[in-house]
Amino acid sequence: MAEVKVAEESVLTDDFLRQLINVGEVDILVGVPTHNNAKTIGAIAETIQAGILTFFPRERAAIINVDGGSRDGTPELVASAAIDDARPNAKMYTLRTFHSISTQYASSPARGTALHTIMAAAELLRAKACAVISPESTQITTDWLATLLRPVYTADFDLVLPTYSRHRFDGILLTNLLYPMTRALYGLKIREPFALDYAFSGRLGSQFLTQNAWHEETAQAGSETQLTLTAIAGEYRICQSFLGTKERAERHSADLVPAMRQTVGALFSSLETNFSLWSARTGSQPIPTTGDERKFSLEPLRINRKRLREMFSTGVAELESIFQSILSPATLAELQGIARTEDVPFRYSAELWVKTIYEFAAAYHKSVISRDHIIQALAPLFRGRALTFLAENINGSADDVENNIESLCLEFERTKPYLLEIWKQ
Amino acid sequence: MPLKQEVPWYKLAVIYQAHVRTFYDSNGDGVGDFQGLDQKLDYLKELGIDTIWLMPFFPSPLRDDGYDISDYYSVHSSYGTLEDFRTFLKSAHARQIRVIIEMVLNHTSDQHPWFQQSRSSQDNPRRDWYVWSDTDTGYSQTRIIFLDTELSNWAWDPISKSYYWHRFFSHQPDLNYDNPAVREEMWNVMKFWLEMGVDAFRLDAVPYLVEREGTNCENLPETHGIIKELRRKLDEQFPGKMLLAEANQWPVDLRPYFADGDEFHMAFHFPLMPRMFMGVKLEDRKPITEILQQTPEIPPSCQWCLFLRNHDELTLEMLTTVERSYMNDTYARDMDMRLNLGIRRRLAPLLDNDRRRIELMHGILMSLPGTPNIYYGDEIGMGDNIKLGDRNGVRTPMQWSGGWNGGFSAAEPEKLYAPLIQDPVYGYPAVNVVSQKKTEHSLLNWIARIIAVRKTTSVFGAGSIEFLYPANHRILAYVRQLENETILVVNNLSNAAQAVELDLRRYKGNILIEMFGKNIFPRVGDLPYLLTLGPYQFYWFRLRRI
Repeated sequence: MAEVKVAEESVLTDDFLRQLINVGEVDILVGVPTHNNAKTIGAIAETIQAGILTFFPRERAAIINVDGGSRDGTPELVASAAIDDARPNAKMYTLRTFHSISTQYASSPARGTALHTIMAAAELLRAKACAVISPESTQITTDWLATLLRPVYTADFDLVLPTYSRHRFDGILLTNLLYPMTRALYGLKIREPFALDYAFSGRLGSQFLTQNAWHEETAQAGSETQLTLTAIAGEYRICQSFLGTKERAERHSADLVPAMRQTVGALFSSLETNFSLWSARTGSQPIPTTGDERKFSLEPLRINRKRLREMFSTGVAELESIFQSILSPATLAELQGIARTEDVPFRYSAELWVKTIYEFAAAYHKSVISRDHIIQALAPLFRGRALTFLAENINGSADDVENNIESLCLEFERTKPYLLEIWKQ
Repeated sequence: MPLKQEVPWYKLAVIYQAHVRTFYDSNGDGVGDFQGLDQKLDYLKELGIDTIWLMPFFPSPLRDDGYDISDYYSVHSSYGTLEDFRTFLKSAHARQIRVIIEMVLNHTSDQHPWFQQSRSSQDNPRRDWYVWSDTDTGYSQTRIIFLDTELSNWAWDPISKSYYWHRFFSHQPDLNYDNPAVREEMWNVMKFWLEMGVDAFRLDAVPYLVEREGTNCENLPETHGIIKELRRKLDEQFPGKMLLAEANQWPVDLRPYFADGDEFHMAFHFPLMPRMFMGVKLEDRKPITEILQQTPEIPPSCQWCLFLRNHDELTLEMLTTVERSYMNDTYARDMDMRLNLGIRRRLAPLLDNDRRRIELMHGILMSLPGTPNIYYGDEIGMGDNIKLGDRNGVRTPMQWSGGWNGGFSAAEPEKLYAPLIQDPVYGYPAVNVVSQKKTEHSLLNWIARIIAVRKTTSVFGAGSIEFLYPANHRILAYVRQLENETILVVNNLSNAAQAVELDLRRYKGNILIEMFGKNIFPRVGDLPYLLTLGPYQFYWFRLRRI
C-alpha cells in the first residue's frame, strides 16, 4: 500500500509561524532576504522602518527577514528595527506596534526560498502590499517605501518594478538581452523586469505562491523573474517607479553565469509555459511610470576590452560542438568569422545578437543539450556583445546610449517572427 | 457605613455618574429632579453601584449645564429643594451608596452675586474676588481651552470697563484665589455640603485656580498650596471624605496633585481613556501600555479614577497630533461629532454598538488599577444626538422604558429639557432599562454581572499591576496582585480570534480559575501558557495554588 503523504513540507518553521501569529494581519509587509549582510543591513532596516512610519504611519506593517544562514548577526540587526511597548524607540514615534521578525532556512542561500518564505508570510498575514528590498540596496532612502508600496496600496497596481539612474555600462545583460527580449516577447516596455527591489499586491503574491513550482531549479534561481512574468501572463496591473541612482556593483567574471541562470534561464523557461501569450503579441506598449526619468551617468570607466575579446574568441572556439547543437550553421559561421578576425575592429551586430539569442531560446525549449549548459554557453557570446556595446557607446551621450538600446529593442521585436519560426521546427 | 476599612472606600468603589436633570422627572415638568433620582436608587443598587457622582445641581443660568454656578448654597429650583437633596442623600446612604457632588472652584457664573458686585465698581469689597485687568494682554502664554467658542481668556466687561479673566466660557469668570477671602469662602461652601453628609467632591478644573505672569497658568505651585490647605481642613474636620480631581493633564503633570497623599485622594486619568479607544481600533495594546508605563506611582492612599465616557466630549487634548488625527478620522468622521479637541459621542455609538467591544472596554475599565466610573445610560448602551449643540447630545434623558417619554417624564414631550433619542437603533423603544431587565443576557445585566465579579475581590481596586508583554501585540495582559491574591487579566483587542503564549513561569503550579464561570483552566507549568481568545474576548483568572 502506497504511503499516504499527509502534509507538504512547509517553508515555514514552527518558530517562524509562531512569530507570524504574533504579527497577525498586516497592511504592509517588507521582505528582506539576507545572507551575511551585517555591514549594510542595519542601516537598510532602519531606513525601511523610517519609511514605513513616515508614509504609512497608521498601517499595520512588518519587516520579514528571511536569512540564508548568516553568521554575522544579520538577523539580529533586522530584528532590532522592531518597536513595541517592551522596546520603545525614543527616536521614532509609532502609533502602533511595528514588528521586525526574522527566520532562517536550513538550505544554503537561495533567493527562491527567500521569496517563497516572504510570499508565504505575506499570504498568511494577508498583506495588502508587499515590498522586497535587496540587502545590497545601500542607496535606499525612506522615499523608496512610498515609491514602491503606494502604487500597490492606494492605486491597485499588482507589481511595481523599479527604474534607476544607472551608469551607461552598468547592467549590460539587462540592456542588451533581458529588457529588449522581454519587451519584444511580452509586449511591455519594462525596464527592469528582473528586479531585486520591487513590490507586489497580495493577490499577485497569492497567485504566484500557488502557481510557481518552487522546488524546481529554475524557479529557485529566477523567482523574481518568474514573478514578473506571472504578472505579465496574468495581465496583472504593472507599473514602474523611479528609485534613484543604482550604484554600479563590482562584478567578477565568475558572477556572470549564475546571474544568467537566474535571469536568462528564467526568461527562456517562461517562454514554454506562456507560449500562447507571447506568440500572439506584436510590438510593445509603455507601462505607467512614476517618478523622474531614468538617466544614464557617463563617468569614464576602465574596461579591459582585450580580455573580453579573448573570452569571446576562446569561447566560440572551445564550445564549437555545443554551438553546433544550439545555433544554426549560418549563425555559428558568422560568430566564428567575428572570432577569427583579429585585425579589424570587433563588432557583434545587433542583428546577429538577436538571432543568436532567439536560437538559444529555441534550443533551450527543445532541450537539445542540458539546459544549464545552454545558459553557460551563452556567457562568452554575451561578453562579445558587451564588448560591441561598450565600443559603440564609449563616446556616446546618454541619449545616444538610449537610442542604441531602443534600436536593439526594435530589432528584437522585428526578428520575433524568426523565433516563432524556429520554435516549432 | 460599614465597609472594608483596610482599603479606603473610594478604591473599591464603582462610581456612577448621573445628572439630576437627565435621570428621572418625578413631577412631570420635563426636567429630572432629586425626588426622581431618589426613586431610582434601587435601580443603581441592583446594578452594583456604590457611589454616585452628581453633576452640578446648584442654581445656575445653565449656560454650561450647571458648571456656571450662581449660588453655591442651594439647589436649582428645577431639581427640587435643599430638603429634597437631604432626603435623597439620606436614601442613598441607607442603601450604602455614597454621594460625590461637584464643586466648581475655579469660576462662577457671571450671574453670581459675587461677580455682579465685583463688576459694579472698582471699590466694591468683592472687586478683588475675580481677576481684572485694564488690558487683555496678561498671561499671554495661557492656552484657550474652548477653542471653538472663545478667542481669548480675557473678556471685556462693559459695566466695569475692564477685562476679566476666564479659562472657560466668557460667562464664567475665574475666581481670584490670591484673595484669602475667596479661599475662605470656598471652604465654607464645601463645609456646608460636608456637614449635610456628602461623601466627596469632584473638584472641577483644578489646574487653573491661580494665574502667574510668564507661566501657562496651569498646575502652579500656588494652586497646589490651595488644594493642600483644603485637604488639611477636610482631614481635620471631615475624616473619611474624599477629593477627586478633574485635571485633564499628562500623568507626570497630574502626579503632583496627589503630592504626598495630602492633596487629592483621586484624580481622573484623562490620557488613558482615548488610548483605550485607540488600542481597540488599532488592535494594538501599545497605546494603553505606553501611557500606563508613563504613569507614575501614586501614594498608597491615592487612586486613579478611570472612565470610558463622561458628560463632556471624549477629550483628545492629551494626544499627539498624529494620534488625535487618527482618533478623529476613525471615531468622528462626521464633523458634527467633533467639539473643541474632542469627540462628542456616547460609548455605544463610538463602538459601533458592537456588544463585544463594549464588553471588552468595560472589562479593561474594571480591571486596570483604579476606580471605574460609569456614565449614566452607558450601562444600557444609550446613543447620542450629535445634532444637539455643545455637549448636550450626550446628556439626553435616561431611557427607562419603551413607553411615554421613555419612562423619563410624564410631561408633554415638547416640555422635556431635551429630546429623547429616537432613532431606530438607539431610541428609547429599542434601548431601555425595562426591556433589558427582562433579558438575561442584556448589556444591563452583563454590566451588573461584571460589577459583581469585580466586587468579589479587592485586587482590582487596590492591587499592584504587572504587565505581561506577550509577543502578540493584540493581547493586553496583566497580573493584578494584592497580598496573597493574584488575578490574571487577558484582553484580546482584536476583531479576530487570537492565540497567545504567556510567560507565567513565576506562577508555576497555580491553576487558573476563570472568574465569571468559575471554570478551571490547566495548571501553569514550565512552558508558555497558551490561550486562545475569540474576537474582543477577555478573561479574568484567579490564580490558585491548590
